Amino acid sequence: MRTDAANGESKMPPETIRTSAMPVEPVLVARGVSKFFPGVVALDNVDFEIRPGEVNALLGENGAGKSTLIKIMSGFYAPDRGEILVNGKHLSADPAAAHKAGVATIHQEAHLVPSMTVAENIMLGHWPLARFGIIKKKEQTRHALEVLERVAPELSPSTLARRLSPAEGQLVEIARALSEDSRVLIMDEPTTSLSSREIDRLFEIVGNLKSKGLGIVFVSHWLEEVFRIADRITVLRDSKFIGTRPAAELDHAKVIKMMVGRDVAEVITHGREPGNVVLEVKNLTRVGILQDISFNIRAGEIVTLAGLVGAGRSEVANCIFGIDPYEEGEIRVNGKVVAPNDPTGAIKAGIGLLPEDRRRQALVAQLSVGTNTTLAMLDHIAPRWVILKERENQIIREAQRSLAIKMASPAARVSTLSGGNQQKVVLGRWLARKPSLLILDEPTKGVDVGAKAEISEIIVRLVSQGTAILLISSELPEVLGLSDRVLVMRSGRIAGEIFRGSLSQELIMKYATTG
Amino acid sequence: MNSKAQKSSVPQAGLLDKIRTGNKAVFEAIQDLGLVLIIVICSVLLGLASPVFFTRINLENLLFTSTIIAVVAIGEAFVIMVAGIDLSVGAVLALSSVMCVGLSVNQGLPVWLAVLIALGLGACVGFINGLAVTMLKIPALIATLAMMSITRGIAFIYSGGRNIAPIPDIFADIQAARLFGIPVMILFTLVIAAAAHFVLSSTRFGREIYATGGNPIAATLSGIRSNRVIIAAYMISGVAAALGGLMITARLEAGAATAGFGTELTVISAAVIGGVSLFGGEGKIGAVLLGVLLLGLVQNAINLLNVPPNYDYVVSGLVIALAASVDVFRRNFAEAALRRRSARVKQEQAGSAPKPA
Repeated sequence: MRTDAANGESKMPPETIRTSAMPVEPVLVARGVSKFFPGVVALDNVDFEIRPGEVNALLGENGAGKSTLIKIMSGFYAPDRGEILVNGKHLSADPAAAHKAGVATIHQEAHLVPSMTVAENIMLGHWPLARFGIIKKKEQTRHALEVLERVAPELSPSTLARRLSPAEGQLVEIARALSEDSRVLIMDEPTTSLSSREIDRLFEIVGNLKSKGLGIVFVSHWLEEVFRIADRITVLRDSKFIGTRPAAELDHAKVIKMMVGRDVAEVITHGREPGNVVLEVKNLTRVGILQDISFNIRAGEIVTLAGLVGAGRSEVANCIFGIDPYEEGEIRVNGKVVAPNDPTGAIKAGIGLLPEDRRRQALVAQLSVGTNTTLAMLDHIAPRWVILKERENQIIREAQRSLAIKMASPAARVSTLSGGNQQKVVLGRWLARKPSLLILDEPTKGVDVGAKAEISEIIVRLVSQGTAILLISSELPEVLGLSDRVLVMRSGRIAGEIFRGSLSQELIMKYATTG
Repeated sequence: MNSKAQKSSVPQAGLLDKIRTGNKAVFEAIQDLGLVLIIVICSVLLGLASPVFFTRINLENLLFTSTIIAVVAIGEAFVIMVAGIDLSVGAVLALSSVMCVGLSVNQGLPVWLAVLIALGLGACVGFINGLAVTMLKIPALIATLAMMSITRGIAFIYSGGRNIAPIPDIFADIQAARLFGIPVMILFTLVIAAAAHFVLSSTRFGREIYATGGNPIAATLSGIRSNRVIIAAYMISGVAAALGGLMITARLEAGAATAGFGTELTVISAAVIGGVSLFGGEGKIGAVLLGVLLLGLVQNAINLLNVPPNYDYVVSGLVIALAASVDVFRRNFAEAALRRRSARVKQEQAGSAPKPA
């Protein structure tokens, strides 16, 4: 042991010491890697290394070059300059060669065949074959069991993939990616569809693999997760390498500054004065899903529904907005009953909804930014039948100005915008209607750090103008920073109400998970 | 380094604005012009091959025979734009044909009432199609396939399988009528096309069509009653097909239960060649007309060049496949070229960016 390690021993957690100080050869090195796409520099002279037994978190805003670097390390792209060394040996650009050399990659989206079993999925393409291409089922199961042993011993190889939860699917993918001689595991945003309990499980497995000497590359947008798991943090910005530092030397603010190149202001929320009751939910019950939900929201108040994924948060929003039916209960906005199961009616009653899945539920990809902005305003821009162009343009200009939407032109397709700007378009759709109640379901999901702060600022601005806001968020800093009140849900019930004064992560987790 | 990058990014965005919007206009022009170009080239080749082609009679005949397909294709385009498909249009055309003649000749109803009933039946069939697709959630292909069979069957039952003739004189009169020397049928078709274009581009209903076709969930969550929009689209298709039935009655001089066999495939081809996306949410009436014209041109060529009748279907099929693949190629090519151009400009503006290796 070298001396600096001995010094560090007293103040650093043990994991960090082992990884940051062990004088070991890195298992994978990217040296001076550049990648050019026609007219675009995707990576500019980037250095990156993974040591055995460490988690190196790769961070950067959307478009910073993370995906490109991952694709190069896993052999999908050839670097235009520089090279990748695995165990000191040059890696050629071929996914099969990379896998053979010991680089295992878990991609962002699940790639399981839903109609096949866990065993078949694990052995996908490498099925043990007898003559005439008949699959040897027993051998397949035996292989699969062996592989599952390392990551998910509780999973049955004969389960159909479509019956797996997202978390289990993830484990199967890890099992598939890993082989006997895997040295590096690259995980591209593995936690996006997992609940916090499932994330705990995943991290346990990652810790396990780490202790077996695997080097792990972990990509995530959630800094909390990164700090829980990473030994070192590498930041890319504008296709350039900004730095690799031990996680223990960094905090959120420092990492964000590395990512965006400037300080991001913290949102200040004090000084709000709630007004009249806007939303009243009474005894809302949806059999098997929601149980006797009652709460109010006042004008100028942010009420957050917290809880684990599957606790029924989005379902409450869906009932209020008329997407899902419910058996019992009553919903009123500004004193008037909102008819169930009718989104058009809900909108007329003064409700707006920013849904959780932007691409699936909010945007029409083929249409322009402008058309998407006014999609909920057709009754206003076309009061008779014909669209009044001037009225429409005015709304678009106003949304663009007040939300600082960056776009080529209102005629550009909405799919050309970044995640953050797309989200602003959806926000703009509702702001023009001036809703009494705005439901925001994961408003900062899949947007980068800079846009996240901007969206938080917009939310605060809306509330100070007297909008009532129902917020659903899985991001604790957002929940803690924005909420006036938090209703914690657990298995379809409201398990606890926490006021701003006594708000803490521990209390939320306590209500969400126990009692 | 950092502050410099930020400063230069501001004017860059402004310039890129113009280039990108310029690109979009250019891109769309190429997309529309491509079909025009194919039609022009085919016409020139055909003109060289057959001296008859560029005669007034032949060209007028070409347009005239295209009118029925055009009207039905416009209706079909509405359905395809909401991500549906309507296979019942050919059968509706036949039903409309036998009803409008039968009701006035056999049942003695006034012609205008018979025509209204025929159109109303088209709307009814469309309404049932729409209900089946939205409420019963039957896949459009199956629902309208069933409707096609039922409707054609009713046409046969009503007519007893025989042509109903003679037709009221007014049909023949309108068929022969001219305004400014142009057959009224052609003008009528253009008026319908213009109306459809206006509805799609400038009205609330048009927006609702595009939004519902592009993303029905997003449309619903924006307050659009997308089921109603889909039902309305099928009804438009039904009425347009019934209108096609009236037109074909005039041409055949009989109400025929056998009329319009295979029309559904021709109009779907025309719409798709005209750039209406089968996934919904995209399409323009002008381009659909070009698609119709191209198919008409092929038919004309088959006639002029004396292609044996039995080869007719094979040739038509090949041309459709060719046009569609040229279209896909052209789009991909044009899009890639524009992407490269905008990327190059971006790079020039960034100034210091290294050249692609």
